[in-house]
Amino acid sequence: MLASIVSYGLAVGAVYALIGITYNVMFAASRAFSFTAGMLGMLGGVLGALFIDRLGMPVIVGLFLVLACGAVLGVITEIVAVRPVLKSIEQHLYVLSTLAFALLIAQFTAIQWGTDASPFPRLIPIGEGLLDQKFWIPMLSCAVTVLGLEFLYRRTLIGRAFLAIAEDSYAARALGLPEVRLRLASFALAGVIGSLAGFAGGEMLLAFFGNQSILNFYGFVPVALGGMGNNRGALVAGLLLGLFQQAANFLVGGIFASVAVFVVFIVVLLLRPEGFAGASGARRV
Amino acid sequence: MSVTRRQVLAGSAAGAASLASGLASPAIAANEPLRIGFLPALTGPSSSTGVGMNRGTELAVKEINDAGGINGRKIELIVRDTQSDATKAVNAIAELTHRQKVHVVWGPLNSGETLAATPLCARDGIPMIHPCWVDTLIDVKKYPMSFRNAPTNMQIGHAANHYVLDVLKAKKVAVIGDNQGYATATVAAYVPLLKEKGATIAYQGNVDSANPDLKPELLRMREAGAEAIMPWSVNAGFLARICNARGQMKWDVPIVGQTTLGSGQTQALLEKPEYWEKVYSNNFKKVCYAGDGKLPAAAADFRARLAKEKIDMGDTLLWWIACGYDAPKLIAQTIKDAGDSPAAITGYWNKLKGWPGIYATMNFTPEQHNGVPDDEVVMCQSNSLKDGAFNLAPGYGA
Repeated sequence: MLASIVSYGLAVGAVYALIGITYNVMFAASRAFSFTAGMLGMLGGVLGALFIDRLGMPVIVGLFLVLACGAVLGVITEIVAVRPVLKSIEQHLYVLSTLAFALLIAQFTAIQWGTDASPFPRLIPIGEGLLDQKFWIPMLSCAVTVLGLEFLYRRTLIGRAFLAIAEDSYAARALGLPEVRLRLASFALAGVIGSLAGFAGGEMLLAFFGNQSILNFYGFVPVALGGMGNNRGALVAGLLLGLFQQAANFLVGGIFASVAVFVVFIVVLLLRPEGFAGASGARRV
Repeated sequence: MSVTRRQVLAGSAAGAASLASGLASPAIAANEPLRIGFLPALTGPSSSTGVGMNRGTELAVKEINDAGGINGRKIELIVRDTQSDATKAVNAIAELTHRQKVHVVWGPLNSGETLAATPLCARDGIPMIHPCWVDTLIDVKKYPMSFRNAPTNMQIGHAANHYVLDVLKAKKVAVIGDNQGYATATVAAYVPLLKEKGATIAYQGNVDSANPDLKPELLRMREAGAEAIMPWSVNAGFLARICNARGQMKWDVPIVGQTTLGSGQTQALLEKPEYWEKVYSNNFKKVCYAGDGKLPAAAADFRARLAKEKIDMGDTLLWWIACGYDAPKLIAQTIKDAGDSPAAITGYWNKLKGWPGIYATMNFTPEQHNGVPDDEVVMCQSNSLKDGAFNLAPGYGA
């Protein structure tokens, strides 16, 4: 039981963490929460199955195309659903615009792909049982993503520009940084990470249009618990969420496992609204 | 030439008298085609049933018309694709009854659409026949002109319960569903039936349909001593995960449930083909292979005709096509024997006894508009699909 909790919990948790990071990357560039993260995850699975299983492409080509599609969708999200409402960000219209865009894509997927879950191809014929690739591929993808982002943000000029925009877009613009292009690049990066999450977790979650709502919610939990914009917090909270959810599946079971997750989520937010790793924001007056 | 008021009044009176007497109507009616309004979902998420049934319906209409029609009158099949959308089904019903003046409505073929369409047909006084399983769709007091040529959900449950308790002799049963409407309602409805038949419910639960790992639930079932698992869901992913978890646990407990267990979507999601062993899904006796590996004579002949007409069987099921075929045949027989008025059609159906369909033997009474007999709803081996039909599950005899 313990081995099953750990393997499944960490694998699902890694997918949640990646979706949480997707939220964070978009939030850092725009200060808007784009509820398209789950959509990107869902499409990662569906497009992966389409390219590799149905069209017979090699895994590497399929992966590249999935990530490219994710990047394009990230850019479209910024142009269609985020940029038009940024001027009145205090009205939180981005909630509606991004949700509407995500629902549009989900319905389109349901019509074109079908409403039944479809199999996701086995990517690498390595591992059996609890060491199956469906468990370690999400974990590996998550680790590579987190390390890559750390490198990008800490060691590269463009990464520092991303951080500058995230910290204070007015000051960054005054320094001559191309805010719009950097925001577009951030959304493209988020698209890549979100679709990678769905692709890496495809064997567990299957290629299913209904994964969007689940990933949207369970991917948001690590953001709320780990602190908005905090990728390390999202990583830890995502993995803990996966472990807790899987433990609840074993210990409580049935529909009550989901209830247990919601209860913990609400309790944590009541006790610590800024999340475990988030800092209380100072308000300029 | 001037026309006086008296002439106008006289002419109007003569016209009205001729209309009222119906002098011209028999000549028109004798040549008028018999209009069947058909409402399949040919596109959209719930279209697989509609596509299959449509093939049978088109074949039946073609056969009837090629043979000269009904008393010399051709059948005109007026098809409206509901696109798996209840709103479109409602609009189509209104058009078929008001503008097209159909004699009878066949469909819709999905319960959600039929729930919306049935009251409209009842209001307009048009007889309808549909193959949808939701029990409340048939109510002889509210919808006296609505008939069902398929089983009810309760018949489906009874057939599965009978197989588990009386054929497999399992006494401790695990009943599981996902968290969607059909599954929660079905689990709640079938568990009392199992208890009435003397079963012990070792496990009862509804699980998030997207939960990727159902092993914890199956471990709970095994610990509780379950001798059969009855999953109720139309979600192929959920059902395949149950089969996969059972296979990973190397547990050979039988799985008995709804038709989706035997679908190609479920098969595609299995990790290994052997995880489909000892899985039994609902089906219909007249379109299943018996113990000798043969279809009943009527179904075998029907399938030969399908092959002759080059009707594709690869992506659909024999019982869908047969059900779609039976409906226009029954309507044609009815109109031939009784006439085409709503009262004549309803009256004939209310006395229908032992009508030999390919898919099922149809019986109606004024109090009972569910046509399929209980003993024709059976279980089949889910992994035995061949040319659109399944083997009867072990225990039904040759």
